[in-house]
Amino acid sequence: MKTKQNFKILSAISIVLFLAISAYFFKAMTENTRMETNLDEYMPKDHPDFKYSDQAEEWFQIKDGIIIAIEHEESIYNPESLRKIKALSKALQDMDAFDDNEVKSLYTSDNIVGSAEGMEVESFYKRVPKTDEELNLLRHKVRDNEMVQGRLVSESETIALIIAGINDGAFTEDLYNEILTLAESYQSDQERIYVAGRPIVEGTLGLLGPEDMKRMVPLVIAVILLVLYWMLRSVRATAATLLTVFLSTVWAFGLMAATGIPIYSVSTMIPVMLIAIGVAYGIYFFNHLKQFLMANPEADLLAGLSYTLRKLWKPLTMAAFTTIIGFISLLSSEVYPIKYFGIFTAFGIAASYLLALLFLPAITILWGYRIKNRSNQKVASSSPSSKNIQALTEGILRRKKLIYILTGVIILFSIWGIQKVWINSSFLDKFEKDSDIVQTDAFINQHFGGTSTLNLVLESESNDAFKQPEVLELIDKLQSEAVAIPEVGSSFGLTDYLKRMNKVMNSDMEAYYTIPKSVDMVAQYLLLYEMSGDPENLTKVVNYDYNRTNLTFQLKGDDSKTIHAALAIVESYRPAFEAHGVALNFAGSGYKALVFTDLILEGQLLSIAISLGLVFLLLSIMFRSVKAGLIGSLPIILTAIISFGVMGLLNIPLSTTTALLSSIAIGIGVDYAIHFLQNYRNYLAESSNASEALQRTMQTTGNAIWNNALVVIAGFLVLLFSVFPPNRMLGALVSMNMFTSFLGTLSLMMVVIHASRLFQKKGSK
Amino acid sequence: MKTTLLTIVGSMMIFLFSPGNVQAQLSGEAIMLKVYELPTGDDTQGELTMTLTNKQGEERVRKLTQYLLNEGETEKKIMFFTAPADVKGTSFMNWSYTNGKEDDQWIYLPALKRTKRISSSGKGDYFMGSDFTYDDLGDRHPSSDTHQLVREESLDGVDCYVVESTPKDPDYMYSRTLTWVDKSRFIGIKREFYDEDGDLLKILTIKSTDEINGFLTILETEMKQVQKNHRTNMRFSNVKVNQGIPANKFTERSMTLGQ
Repeated sequence: MKTKQNFKILSAISIVLFLAISAYFFKAMTENTRMETNLDEYMPKDHPDFKYSDQAEEWFQIKDGIIIAIEHEESIYNPESLRKIKALSKALQDMDAFDDNEVKSLYTSDNIVGSAEGMEVESFYKRVPKTDEELNLLRHKVRDNEMVQGRLVSESETIALIIAGINDGAFTEDLYNEILTLAESYQSDQERIYVAGRPIVEGTLGLLGPEDMKRMVPLVIAVILLVLYWMLRSVRATAATLLTVFLSTVWAFGLMAATGIPIYSVSTMIPVMLIAIGVAYGIYFFNHLKQFLMANPEADLLAGLSYTLRKLWKPLTMAAFTTIIGFISLLSSEVYPIKYFGIFTAFGIAASYLLALLFLPAITILWGYRIKNRSNQKVASSSPSSKNIQALTEGILRRKKLIYILTGVIILFSIWGIQKVWINSSFLDKFEKDSDIVQTDAFINQHFGGTSTLNLVLESESNDAFKQPEVLELIDKLQSEAVAIPEVGSSFGLTDYLKRMNKVMNSDMEAYYTIPKSVDMVAQYLLLYEMSGDPENLTKVVNYDYNRTNLTFQLKGDDSKTIHAALAIVESYRPAFEAHGVALNFAGSGYKALVFTDLILEGQLLSIAISLGLVFLLLSIMFRSVKAGLIGSLPIILTAIISFGVMGLLNIPLSTTTALLSSIAIGIGVDYAIHFLQNYRNYLAESSNASEALQRTMQTTGNAIWNNALVVIAGFLVLLFSVFPPNRMLGALVSMNMFTSFLGTLSLMMVVIHASRLFQKKGSK
Repeated sequence: MKTTLLTIVGSMMIFLFSPGNVQAQLSGEAIMLKVYELPTGDDTQGELTMTLTNKQGEERVRKLTQYLLNEGETEKKIMFFTAPADVKGTSFMNWSYTNGKEDDQWIYLPALKRTKRISSSGKGDYFMGSDFTYDDLGDRHPSSDTHQLVREESLDGVDCYVVESTPKDPDYMYSRTLTWVDKSRFIGIKREFYDEDGDLLKILTIKSTDEINGFLTILETEMKQVQKNHRTNMRFSNVKVNQGIPANKFTERSMTLGQ
C-alpha cells in the first residue's frame, strides 16, 4: 500500500504542477488577450505588393470609405433629406476618425460649373434649399455634373451617398457603434439609411468573431459531453477528458497572450481543433484502461494504468508528433494569422499529449475509476459487434477489385473537381446572403459604381508624363473600356477633372468632354483648378512632378473573380503604357486582399507538400519501411484529393478558413493509419497470418478509429451552427475528411496492406 | 470684403510696418491695431518664387511677376506666370472692393487664348495649392478678433509681444492665432494658427525683410502646415514700391500680353 500512497502523492504533485502552469497561462489570458480586427494586420507587411500598396496609399491618401446611403422613396431633392445629408456630413467631419476633406457628399462637394463668360467652383448648397425653384435648380446642377451624378446621387435621384475615408487605424468598435447609432437616428418613415463600406464589413466581422465563439463553445462542450459519456460510460472519465481539453485550450491561448500575439478570426478555430484532438486522446486512454480492467477483473487500477501507458505511449507519441508536424507545416504560409494558428494549435496539441500521458493517470488515481458491469464483456454499445466486423473485413478483402475501381473513379471525379477550385478572400462572402450587410452592399452596388475599390497607380520616370495628352487619352480609353464590363461600376482619375474643365471652359459643350489637346492646355487647366478649386483634391490623383497618377475603379464586389476581371482589362493596356514609359502597379485594400488570396493558395500547396513529405518520412522511419510509409500515406492523399475535389465540385472557394483544411486532415487523419499499422504489425508478429492479424486489427484498432472518427465528426459538425458560412463549410468539410480518412484506412489501406504483404516475412502467408 | 493673393506684398507690408515709437504697456488690441495701421505704397511690383514642398519632399516651383495698385475703393492686382514653361503667360487678375462687394477674378489661359471669369468660394480656400489661405494673405481687420497680450518674450534674440487673437465669429477657420510682434520695430515676425480643435495647424515665419523705397518689405516668408508636414515658401525679388504703375495695366486686355 506504500507504493499506492506514493503514487497518490506523485499524482497530487503532477496535478498541482499542471494546474499551476494552467493558472499562469490563464492569468496571461485574462490580462493580455486582444482581438485583432484591423484586417491590414493580417497581411504580410514586407511583401513587395503590400509595401507598394502601403506606399501608394500614403502618396494619394487612399483610404477605405464608410458609406452612408440615404434613400427617399420619391426623391432626395426635398428639404428634409438635404438637411440630413448636410447634418450627417458635418457629424462625420466632427469625428476624429475622418479628416474634413475626406467626407464626400452632395453637401461637401465642389461643383465646377461653366458659364458663357467663365468658370466657377462652388458648393451645390450651403443653406438647405427650401422652395421648389431652389430644389429644381439643385437637381439640374447635379444632373449636369458627371463627377457627381451617379457617384454621389443615384440616377434614379432617390438615393444619395456620404462617403467618408477613414484614417488609418481609426476604426474601433466604439466608432462602429457610434456610426450605426448616428445613421439610425436619421431614419424616418420616408427615408431609409444604410451603412456600408469595407470598414463596416471588417467591423461587423470583428464583432461576429467573439460572438460566434461565445455561441459555439457551450454547444461544442455539450455535444462532446454527450458523445463522450455515451462512449466512456463514466462521469469521472468524461470530466477528466474534458478537463484536459479545457486546459490545453487555456495553454494555447495563454501562450498567445503571453507572447503578445492577438487573436485573429482564424484563431477562434483553435479551441475546436483542440477539443476534437484532445477528446480522441482521452478516448484512447480510457478505452485501453477499460479493456484491461475488463480482461483482468482482479487487477487493480495501478496495474491498469501502467498497462495503458505502456500500450499507449508509443502510438500516442507518433500520432501527436505527426499531428503537430501537420500544423507546424502551416508555418510555410506567408499569412501571419495562419502561421500563428499553426503554432498555437501545435502547442495546444503538445499540451494535450502531455496531459493525456501525465495528467489523466494522475487524476484517475486521485478520483478513482470504476466501470459499470465489469463482468460484462460487451464493449461500448456504439461499436459494431465483433461478428459484423469480421464479416465486413472479409467482405472488403474479397472485393479488392471493386475497392480499387471505386477509388479510381472517385479520384478521377475529384481531379476533375480540383480544376474548378478557386480562391476567394472576399470579406463580404463571409456573411449570409440575406444578412443586412450583404443586402446593403448589393443595394448600393445596384445604384452606384460599387462599394469596393481597386487603385491603379501609373508611374513614369520622366516628370510631367501625365500632362501628355496621348498618355491621358490612353488612360481615358482604359477607363471607358473598364467601366463597360459589368464588374466595374465607375472609375475616377486625373482625366475626369481635365475633361470636366475642358467642357466647362468651352461653354459647357458636350463635344469638349475630352482630354485637352496640348500639354500647355492640360497644365493651365490644372493650374486653374488649383487656383479655384480645392487643390487637395488633385493630390489624390496626381503627384507634384506629374509622373505618378492614381486611377480608382469602383467594383461591384470584393471577391477575387470581380477583381480579376478588372485586372485583366488593365493588363491588356500594359504594353501600350510601357511604350510610353509608363509602369502600372495596383494598390488599395481590394488588391491587397487579392494578393493575400494568392499567398493563401501558395501556402496551401506548400503546406500540403511539406506535410505529406514529412508524414511519409516519419512513417517510413517509425516502421522502418518505405513501403509502410507509402501505404500509410494513402488515406491522407486520398482524403486531400477528395477534399479539394468536393470543394471544386460544390463551388466552395478557398479562403483563410478553408485553407486550414489540408493540415487538419493530414494531422488528424494520419493518426488512423499509425494506430492501424502499429497494431497490425504487433498482431502479425504474434500470429504471422496476415488475414487473421487484419481481423484482429479491425476488431480493436478499427473499433477505436470508428469511435475516434465519431467524436471528431460530432465535434466538427458543431461548426454547422456557426454564424460564419465559411466556418460551417469548414465543419462540414473536416467531418467529411475525417470520414474519408476513416473509410480510406479501413478499406483501401487495409486492402493494399493485404495485397502488398506488408510486414510479412518472405515465404510466410 | 474678400481679399486675395495679390495683396501679398501689400498686406505683408501692412503686417510688418511700424511707426517705431513704442509705448509702455500696450493692450493686445492696441498692438494689433498698430501693426494693422501701417502706411503702404500706392502701388507695388515684384517677382515671386513660390515653392511648395510636400510630405514626400517633392517640390513644386512657380515663378510669377505681380503688380498691385491701390485705388482707395478698389484694390487691383495682376500676376503673370513666368515658370514652369507650360503655364508661362497664364495671368490672373483680382479686383477687391472695400464696400464688401465680392471680388472679381479673371484668368487668361494662353493655350485657350481666352480670358475667363472665375470665382472661388471663400477666404478659407488655399491659394494655388499653397499653405496660405486667401485670408492668411489678406489684411484681416483687427476688429474681427479680440486680442490679448499673453506674454513678452525673446524670439531669436528679438524682444517680442506675444498676442493671442480669438475670432469673434466662432465658425472661423482658426480657433485662435498667436502673433509674435517685434517690440522695437513693432512688426509681426511669427504667427501660429490653431485649428477648430485647438491644435496647432500652421506656423508662419518671416525669414527675410528689407527696406525698399522707404518701406520695410518682406522678402521671404514660409508657412508650415505642421499636421500634414507640408510647407510653402514665398520669396520676393526686384520689389519696387510707388513706381507709378498705370491703371491700364489692370485690364483684361493687358492680361493677354503675358507680362
